[in-house]
Amino acid sequence: MSEKSELSQEELRKIKPDKVVDARGTSCPGPLLAAKQAITEVPIGGILEVLSSDPGTKRDLPIWAKKMGHVFLGVIEEPGYWRIFVKRMK
Amino acid sequence: MGGKQKKMAVAVFSGSIDRLTGLAMLVTGAVSMGLEVDLFLQLWGAYAFKKDVLQKNMNFSEFQDKAPEVARRLQELKLPSWFELIRQAKKAGNLKIYVCSTAASIWNAKKEDFELVDDIIGVGEWIEKMSEADITLFV
Repeated sequence: MSEKSELSQEELRKIKPDKVVDARGTSCPGPLLAAKQAITEVPIGGILEVLSSDPGTKRDLPIWAKKMGHVFLGVIEEPGYWRIFVKRMK
Repeated sequence: MGGKQKKMAVAVFSGSIDRLTGLAMLVTGAVSMGLEVDLFLQLWGAYAFKKDVLQKNMNFSEFQDKAPEVARRLQELKLPSWFELIRQAKKAGNLKIYVCSTAASIWNAKKEDFELVDDIIGVGEWIEKMSEADITLFV
């Protein structure tokens, strides 16, 4: 991972996201595009959770978040997919 | 973030769906990452964007014997067609598609004969756009 998590696994598991986008079953660049579209539906300061089964997403989204000025909070690994948390900052 | 939006400019000469799939991945990725993207469709690239060609195009540029396998795997991976990806990218971000005026003349086509095309422009204007871009590619 090129970006470090802001929160611990325990803290991540307590998050109640403002929006969850389920991109499981789609391949890159599907989840990335889904995140870009979904973040606009999250209030500023709110949290987006992206579910993805593409192994590239957990590396893409931290980079994307940084570039777009949001905060990458961390990833929870589940069997066969990842839960990725991003806080909308602008 | 701040500052000027980064820009990617791609000259699209090829009309083969394997290359166009590669293009669609880059374009979708770039738009998702907040880049502004311009495409310039030349000969076969312009042909592939023609409304009467788009759906029928099954042309692969390499390893033709593998084409059915690639097509099947793309479907299994639920990856939209190259064209659907480009359509989604256009909806999601700042993507402009231009046809080379000579290519349009070769295909005897007007702007409305192409799908998703914003304008028909000359190569001078395109070179100006390329010279202003941060990333330039030729597909």
